[in-house]
Amino acid sequence: MTALSRPDQASPPAVNPRHRPSGAGTSRRRRVHGRDLLGALLSVPALALFAVFAIYPGLRVFYLSLFDYSLTAPPEFVGLDNFRFLATDPRFRETILNSIFYTVGTYLPALVLALLLALVLRRMTRGLGWIRLLYFLPVATSWVAIAVVWRLVLHPDGLLNQTLGLDVTWLTSSTSARWALVIMGVWKETGFFLILFLAGLARLPAEVHEAAMVDGANAWQRFWRVTFPLLKPITAICTIIAVIRGFQSFSPQVVLTDGAFGTEVVNQFVYKTAFESARMGRASAVAVLMFALLIAVTMVQLRVFRREDS
Amino acid sequence: MAIAATLAVVAAGSAACGGGDDDAGGGNVTLTFWTHTHPPMIDLNKKLIAEYESKNPNVKIEYQTIPNTEFNTKMLTSLSTGSGPDIINMDDNALRGEYLPKRLLAELDPKAFGKSSVAEVEADYVPGTLDGAKDAEGKLFGVPSEFNGTAFAINTAHFKDAGLDPAQPPKTWQEVVDYGKKLNAAGHKQAFNFLYLHSGWYSQNFQTLANQTGGSIVSADGKTANLESEGTKEALRLWVELARTSGISDPKSSSRDATAPFQDLASGTQSMAIVYPWSMDQIKESNPDTYKNLAVVPLPQPTATSTPVNRVYGYFWAVNNASKQKAEAWKFISYLASQKERWLTDVSFVQPVKGWETSAPAKAMPFIDVIAQSYGTGKYDQVGPHWAEVQDTIRDAVDAAVFDGKPVDEALREANEAVQRSIG
Repeated sequence: MTALSRPDQASPPAVNPRHRPSGAGTSRRRRVHGRDLLGALLSVPALALFAVFAIYPGLRVFYLSLFDYSLTAPPEFVGLDNFRFLATDPRFRETILNSIFYTVGTYLPALVLALLLALVLRRMTRGLGWIRLLYFLPVATSWVAIAVVWRLVLHPDGLLNQTLGLDVTWLTSSTSARWALVIMGVWKETGFFLILFLAGLARLPAEVHEAAMVDGANAWQRFWRVTFPLLKPITAICTIIAVIRGFQSFSPQVVLTDGAFGTEVVNQFVYKTAFESARMGRASAVAVLMFALLIAVTMVQLRVFRREDS
Repeated sequence: MAIAATLAVVAAGSAACGGGDDDAGGGNVTLTFWTHTHPPMIDLNKKLIAEYESKNPNVKIEYQTIPNTEFNTKMLTSLSTGSGPDIINMDDNALRGEYLPKRLLAELDPKAFGKSSVAEVEADYVPGTLDGAKDAEGKLFGVPSEFNGTAFAINTAHFKDAGLDPAQPPKTWQEVVDYGKKLNAAGHKQAFNFLYLHSGWYSQNFQTLANQTGGSIVSADGKTANLESEGTKEALRLWVELARTSGISDPKSSSRDATAPFQDLASGTQSMAIVYPWSMDQIKESNPDTYKNLAVVPLPQPTATSTPVNRVYGYFWAVNNASKQKAEAWKFISYLASQKERWLTDVSFVQPVKGWETSAPAKAMPFIDVIAQSYGTGKYDQVGPHWAEVQDTIRDAVDAAVFDGKPVDEALREANEAVQRSIG
């Protein structure tokens, strides 16, 4: 239906924006300024909370990393001693390696699986919503709840051994405990990346695929030369998130093994150092190092993806 | 997360609250009281709180229980930041290792106990049993809610199945192995197991054995790691023999749920276990049928001629040094401590006041002679600063030797280096 203008309704005079009357311009600028000011004022509470609970504690961690601080006595400045200790501490080194193992072991297969599943599922026309929900269910469930269930699954007489006919002591061996965590991690985390890849695939233009098919490209060529390159932005995001989630891991290790059998990760080390041993300075130093490491890894990832893009 | 975990502490530090409402003028008082989770103890605490509140209408007790796995961490962090409850209930390891050196607790107030001096309060207790709540200068900071000595439980039904006489329990660890093989042959595959729950449990089991073999974790002055001493190596060798080499049980299938210790003994899966008085009460409540078949006997020793050595430990009621109502807190503790017989009958918690073993409730308690005997031969655990790290190291050494088969000498050499780094 077309809207008709009433004859008595005067249409606004056409105004060349380059030649606005000076009074109207000033009033508009005032309105814009007023709106900006209101916006800034409204954001003050959120910014204040962010400053108090994120920025200040973050800066305080950097500050504390230079001190010996046990909470009960005033912090004592020790310079870089905490970092020197960590540089030669076998336990810290081991937790770094454990975190790397867990991150690579869990998130590399999870990303590949998620991409493969996304490629299969995007062709589904019926029931996709339900399948997506099923895959996302572990993601929506808390790590603690899942780890408690998996403790039963990984018991020597548990579901995994019985189903596969294995005799593996998953949680009480330095060889298998780390793999147990990886298996559980892949099961839980694949759904998260599946959703991201499905979203990425849904945005790809169909014409490019059709053109490739017309040109005679087979399925693998279409994936490798068309789909995968076009998915680079989402793959980059997924990879960065995967690394961060991997290094942030804490709950599964606490619930499944309590860090025993070579499964103590960096975050657990920070927690124990800070809260059980009350070495706040040393724990802060680990946090600073992890912050630097994650920033560096993310920068490298971004650079790699950017280079491939160009 | 790494940063966030640290930030949480820093933020907590600036938000100290220091216990319940301040009221020194005799008006309404709210006291906060935290304990770990042990169902029979929680039930009695609730009853006693209700009684105390009805007798003292101006006092309200806010009682909170914290899961065992996070109890030590939460309590230490909150008290360290000047907050936490008015009244705590904590084991002597934590008190001597962290709370007392950091001056987190208030000295005992004898007036609350109707005494004119701390010495008068001490005079009521069996000598030595209050040492778990004394600082290096000998000042007293708490009274025991429970005092425990190690004993040994055997499932008499399993013994009969294996043709063993329950009246002749194993007196040495070698006999535990010998009996274990007979129990295995009779179909009881978990003859004896240690508890692999968390670092604290590993450490207490290890110290139990080390007390007997003449080992220690650190030197007497606490400055040097001592895990490579012959006595300490012998303790781990004994553990490995019992848990791995002898084959009398499979430690890999033992229950590892720290919220419910002794599950395998309680369920009738395990035939023998190191126990404490409270554990028997827990089994009585959770598995009464198994409990009927359990007998408590003295803890086996390395040899038949060894002078018996046990491990003792206590939980103590104490007052947060940051509490603004210390006098009221001590009065409530005095009331809790005055209910000695109920602690014994309802929860099997022994408060080691002089003559406790001859009281009517004690005489009515099964196995009380064994428990009383263990106190006379008991040793408190070694503790020190950053003991949580030391306990983690002991756990790793035991895991490596028992589960991964690493040679004892190698496992303890690595552990010794790690402990030295922690205490150095």
